[in-house]
Amino acid sequence: MPGRDGFRRLFRLDRGDRDVDRSVRDELAFHFEMAVADLVASGMTAADARLEAERRFGDVGRTRHRLETIDRARVAEGRRVEQWRNILHDLRFALRMLRRQPGFAAAVILTLALGIGANTTIFGIVDRLLFRPPALLPNPDHVHRLYFARTDNGREFAAANVSYQRYLDVVNGTSAFASMAAFWTPRMAVGRDNANEMRVTMATASFWQVFDVTPVAGRLFTAVEDSPPAGEPVAVLSWPFWQATFGGRRDVLGTRVRIGRVDYTIIGVAPRGFWGLEQTAPAAFIPLSSGADNFHGPFGPGRPSWRQGYGFNWLQIFARRKEGVSIDASTSDLTAAFKRSYALQAAEQHHLPPADVARPRAIVGSILTERGPNQGTNSKVALWLIGVSAIVLIIACANVGNLLLARAVRRRREIAVRLALGISRTRLFSQLLVESTLLAALGAAGGLALARWGAGLLGSVLLPDLTTPGSVIDSRLLLFTSLAAAAAGFVTGLAPALQAVRLDVTTMLHGGARDGASHRSPVQLGLLVMQGALSTLLLVGAGLFMRSLHNVRDVRLGFDADRLSFVAPVMRGVVLSAAETSRLHERLTGAARVIPGVDGASRTESVPFYWDNEDNIFIPGRDSVNKLGSFVQQSVSPGYFATAGTRILHGRGITDEDRPGAPRAVVVSRMMAATLWPAQEAIGKCVKVSADTMPCNHVVGIAEDIKQFSLRDDPGLEYYLAAAQADATFGVYVRTSARGGASAETIRRALQREMPGVSYVTVTPLSQILEPVTLPWQLGATMFTMFGGLALLVAAVGLYSVLAYGVAQRSREIGVRVALGARPRDVVTLVLREGLGISLGAIALGVVTALLAGRWLAPLLFSVSPRDPVTYGTVALVLLLVTVIACLAPAQRAARTDPNIALRAE
Amino acid sequence: MFPSNVQGNAVAESDLDLVQGTLDLLVLKALAWGPMHGYGVARWVGATTADDLQIEEGALYTALHRMERRGWLSAEWGLSENNRQAKFYRLSAAGRRQLRAETARWTRYVAAVTRVLQTA
Repeated sequence: MPGRDGFRRLFRLDRGDRDVDRSVRDELAFHFEMAVADLVASGMTAADARLEAERRFGDVGRTRHRLETIDRARVAEGRRVEQWRNILHDLRFALRMLRRQPGFAAAVILTLALGIGANTTIFGIVDRLLFRPPALLPNPDHVHRLYFARTDNGREFAAANVSYQRYLDVVNGTSAFASMAAFWTPRMAVGRDNANEMRVTMATASFWQVFDVTPVAGRLFTAVEDSPPAGEPVAVLSWPFWQATFGGRRDVLGTRVRIGRVDYTIIGVAPRGFWGLEQTAPAAFIPLSSGADNFHGPFGPGRPSWRQGYGFNWLQIFARRKEGVSIDASTSDLTAAFKRSYALQAAEQHHLPPADVARPRAIVGSILTERGPNQGTNSKVALWLIGVSAIVLIIACANVGNLLLARAVRRRREIAVRLALGISRTRLFSQLLVESTLLAALGAAGGLALARWGAGLLGSVLLPDLTTPGSVIDSRLLLFTSLAAAAAGFVTGLAPALQAVRLDVTTMLHGGARDGASHRSPVQLGLLVMQGALSTLLLVGAGLFMRSLHNVRDVRLGFDADRLSFVAPVMRGVVLSAAETSRLHERLTGAARVIPGVDGASRTESVPFYWDNEDNIFIPGRDSVNKLGSFVQQSVSPGYFATAGTRILHGRGITDEDRPGAPRAVVVSRMMAATLWPAQEAIGKCVKVSADTMPCNHVVGIAEDIKQFSLRDDPGLEYYLAAAQADATFGVYVRTSARGGASAETIRRALQREMPGVSYVTVTPLSQILEPVTLPWQLGATMFTMFGGLALLVAAVGLYSVLAYGVAQRSREIGVRVALGARPRDVVTLVLREGLGISLGAIALGVVTALLAGRWLAPLLFSVSPRDPVTYGTVALVLLLVTVIACLAPAQRAARTDPNIALRAE
Repeated sequence: MFPSNVQGNAVAESDLDLVQGTLDLLVLKALAWGPMHGYGVARWVGATTADDLQIEEGALYTALHRMERRGWLSAEWGLSENNRQAKFYRLSAAGRRQLRAETARWTRYVAAVTRVLQTA
C-alpha cells in the first residue's frame, strides 16, 4: 500500500447534487465489482456471485436512495457553513479596511446615517398615520370607524360625528356588527386645586368590548355604570397619567379625582400604550353617560338632553364586524339603518332635505382616520415627506456609491493581485458587497440615533399632535431601518463591486493604479449629476414653499393675529344666569383693559378658525337670504374694531351709544353688504337675526372682510352686534402691545381674580389658533429646506471629494501642463470647468424634473406658480456658488502642483 | 442508554438484532485500523465476526455515510489495492472520541446484562 495513509489521493470534491449521485453510484459499483471478484475467486460462477453479492447487500435501490439523501444533506450543510465562514471572514476583512481609513469610513457612515435617519423619522410618523392599527385592538381589519354621508348642494359630506340618538338608531338597527361603541374626547379640567385641561375620553361601556384590554390595576367600567341618564362617576386612568400624577401607586384605586365638575372614583388603570383611538394618551376613560352631563352642563328646562334629538353631533362611532360578514354586507346593513334614522330625523327637523336629495349613505371606513373618507392634511404632508426623505436617501446612496467607486479605483491593484492569486470573482463580489453592507449597517445605527432625536424635533415642532416621547423606536421601525440599510448597502456596493469584478487582471498588474484611474467613469459622473439634480429638485421645492409661507403670512386676515389673545372662561360647574354671565364678561373686559401692556379688550362671540356662531338672518323684502351663505355672528364691546385690528371702511363701529334701549346697531362686512345689497348704500338698512319677527338692527358701518374659515377663499360674511344689545358673548379678546403670546400668563393671572369659585380662564393667543392653519406651508418650507440643505451639503461633499481625488490622480498630467508653461490660473480653470460642467448638467436636469413635478406640487402652494422664475433662478445661483466653493480647494491644490515633484514621482 | 437510539429502519434482519449504535461501533472500530473503503469495512466486519452477525452490507454503507455527515468520519476518493477509484473513509478526531465513548458504554452495558443473567 503506497503512502502513509495506504492510498493515493485523487482530487475529487462532491459539491452539487449531481456529484453526490455520481459518487454514490461509483462507490456501490466498486463494492459489487470487488464482492463479485472475491466470490468468483472462491469458486462461484459469475452469475451466482452476482446474486450472492446482492443478497448480502440487501435492498440496493433503497440503500442508494438513502445514501444520496444523507450525502445531499451533508453537502448542503457544508455549503451553509462555508458561506457563513466566508461572510465572517469578509466582515473581519471589511472592518480591518475601515479601521485603516477612519476618515473615509466616518464620511460614509455619517452620510448614510443622515439618509437613513431621515427616512426612519418619516416612516415612524407615516406608519402611525396610515398603517399601524391602534394598540390592543385584536383583528383590526374587522374594526371600522363609521361615517354617515349625505349630499348637500351636489357635494357629499361624510360625517364622523353623530348625535347620541343616531348612535342608538344604528346600534339597534343593525345586525352586521358584533359590537359598536361611541366615544368623545374633549378637554376637561382634571384635578382640584391645580386643575389642568386634559383630554378625557368618555365612552360607552361597549368601548371595552371592541378592544382587548386587561387593566394593569383594578377594573374597567361596566354597562351598569354607563346607564343613562347619569351613569356612575367612575374613571379608568391612562397609564401615562397614572404615572405622572400618582407615580404609579396602586393605592389610588378607590380614591377620587375631579374631572370637570364631578369627583370620579378611580376604579382601574389602562395598560401602557393603550390610548383608545387617540393619537396620544388621554388622561382617563369615563362612562359616556357620566361625562356627558358633566361636560355639557345642565340642560335646563326646554333644552333637550344630550340623549335626545339629532341636532347635536359630538360622538364618534366605531364597530367590530361579525365574523363572516363582508364590508359590503355591513355597509348595506348600516346604510339601511341610517336611512331609517334619517327618516326619524326628518320628522323632527322640518328643514332637512328629503332623503332622495340628501341620499344618506353609511361608510364602513378604516379604523385609521387618515385612511377614511376625511383624510386630513397631516397624511398628505406625510406622504410628501416620504418622497422628500427618499430622495435624501437616494442622494446619500449615490454619494456613498461614488466614494466607494473612487476607492475601488484606488484598490484596483490590490484587487487585481487577489484575482491573480485565485480568489473567485463571486467571492470578491460578495466581499465588496459585505463591505458596503457593513457600512450601511453602521450608518443605520447612526440613523436610528438621529431618528430618535429627529422624531422628537420634527414631532414637537411640526406635528405636535402626533408625538409621544419614548415610543419612537420599536420593532416595526427597526425592521424598516434594517431594510433601508440593506437596500442602501446593496445599491451603494453594486457599482463598485461590478466594476471590480470586470477588472482585467493583466492590464492592471502591468499598468498600475495611476494610469487606470485617470479616466473618470461614466457611472461616477452620472451619480454626481443625479445628486446635483435631486438637490436642485428639493431646493426648488424649498423655495416654492418658502415663498408660499411668506405669502400666507402676508395674507390680510382682517385682524391682528399677532397681538390678539382669546380669553375663555371655563365655568367648571359654577352656574351663572345669562345676566350674570354678561356681567362676568364685562368685568373681565374691564379688568383686562387696565393690565399693563394691554392696548384694548372687547367681548367676543366668534373666534376665527376656532369657534363661530352662525344664525339665520332676515332682510325685509327679500326671500331666502340664508341660501346665499352662512353669516357669522359676532357680538362685541365698544372699541372692538380697534382691539381686533379690523378696519371700518364706511360709517362707524360699535360704540358706547349702542346701549340697551338705544336703536339696535349692526356692522356688516364688505362682502356681506355687497351680497345683500349689491350696488346700494348698505348703511341704514335693516337686518333681523334668528327670526323674521325679531326687531331690526340698523347697519351703522361696514368693516373689512376677515378670514374666518380659510386663508384662500373665505366667504367673508360677518356681522357685528353690540354685546350690550344682543347678549351672546363667549369670551374676551385682549390686544397686547407686545407681539405674540408673551404676556398670556400675565393676562391669565390678572383675570383669574375675577372668576367665581373653582371656575377659571384660559388665554389662547390667536397666533396659536392659526398655527394649524399655516402648518402645511410651514411644514413644507421647513422640511424641504432642511432636506434640501442636507442634500446640497451631501452633494457638495461628493463633488468635492471626487474632484479632489481626480486632481490627486492627475497630478502628473497637471505637472506636465505646468512644465509646458500653463499658469496657475489655467490650472484652476481646468478644475473649475470640470466642476461647473457637472453642476450645470445637474441644474438642467433638476430644473426639468422640477418643472414636470410642479403639477403635483401646485395644489399645496399658496399664491406661487410652481414655475416661479425667481425660485428657479435663486436655486441655480446657489448651486453654482456651492459648486465653486467645492471646487476651490482642489483647484488651489492643482495650481500649486510642482512639476518637478509630480514628474519625479513616477 | 445504549439501545435508546434505535431507529427501526436501520435494524438489520438477522439472527442477532443489530441496533444502529452497535453498527456504528463496529464501523468505527473497523476504521480504527486505518482508512478503508466501504467494501473493506464490510469484509473486515464479516471476517472479524465470522459472519455471526449477518449484517446487511447496505446497512454498513448507510452507517458510513451517516457518520460522515456527523463529522465522525472524513471521506476521500483514492486508488484501491487493485488500482480502482474507491471512496476511502477515515476516522476524524471526533470519530475517535466517539469510538472511545461507545466502547466504554458498550462494555458497561454488556457487563450489566451479564451480571443480571448470572444472578438468575
